[in-house]
Amino acid sequence: MSNALSTVVIVVALLAVAFSAVTALRNRPMGWGDLAALGVLEVALIAQAVVGFVKLSGGGGPSETATFVGYLLAALVIPPAGAGWGVLERSRWGPGVIVVAGLAIAVMVVRMRQIWDGTGG
Amino acid sequence: MAERETGGGPGRLLVAVYGIFALAAGARAAVQIATKFDEAPLAYVLSAFAAVVYVLATAALAIGGRASRRVAVAACSVELAGVLAVGTLSLADPAAFPDATVWSGYGRGYGFVPLVLPVAGLVWLWRTARTDRGRVVRPDGDG
Repeated sequence: MSNALSTVVIVVALLAVAFSAVTALRNRPMGWGDLAALGVLEVALIAQAVVGFVKLSGGGGPSETATFVGYLLAALVIPPAGAGWGVLERSRWGPGVIVVAGLAIAVMVVRMRQIWDGTGG
Repeated sequence: MAERETGGGPGRLLVAVYGIFALAAGARAAVQIATKFDEAPLAYVLSAFAAVVYVLATAALAIGGRASRRVAVAACSVELAGVLAVGTLSLADPAAFPDATVWSGYGRGYGFVPLVLPVAGLVWLWRTARTDRGRVVRPDGDG
């Protein structure tokens, strides 16, 4: 797992959280900005998954490989799910869901880093 | 009067958080049971049980309607009881829980969200239920 890349993913996720939080606080439904933020986040997550699998196949992965792969793949599903929800819920709660999704991804990436380094619970 | 759906508006947030926990608890339980069931069978069975409860709560809240509402109330109640019981037991007798579950230490490993979530779920179900009943006026008024 690349530390630089995972830091980028966390930063992008938190930026998406901030952007959507502002949208929600302004009482607007999801707009193009929120969607673009989710798109950038998804691209970053795909890059992370690709790099993660390449590193795993090269050996030297974490002891809990299954858990790590689970996180890697589960994270990919979340931004599209958040976007779909934003389309369905045309109120401030659409971007609200994106806030939750971004926070979840940030936490997941931190956990993935711990698993990779073999630290933490 | 139209029934207020539990999956709409602010309820979406609740369903989203429940969905993430269903995913997290389910994946975790699957990995634990598949790879190292013998190490801590009790903890892993509990993880799986917690995952089932989260999936039920997520689906019931998202679908809405009368039957789903009952399922959601049951799931949130079981969840609250579970997090309180397992949280207390895991602190009182750590030896019985060599590996963590979502509910260990009142959900400490997950930022105590597992403790807050069922309470938020029950409050939300209660509030939307009051809306369902329509114009029932409570003596202490409504904020």
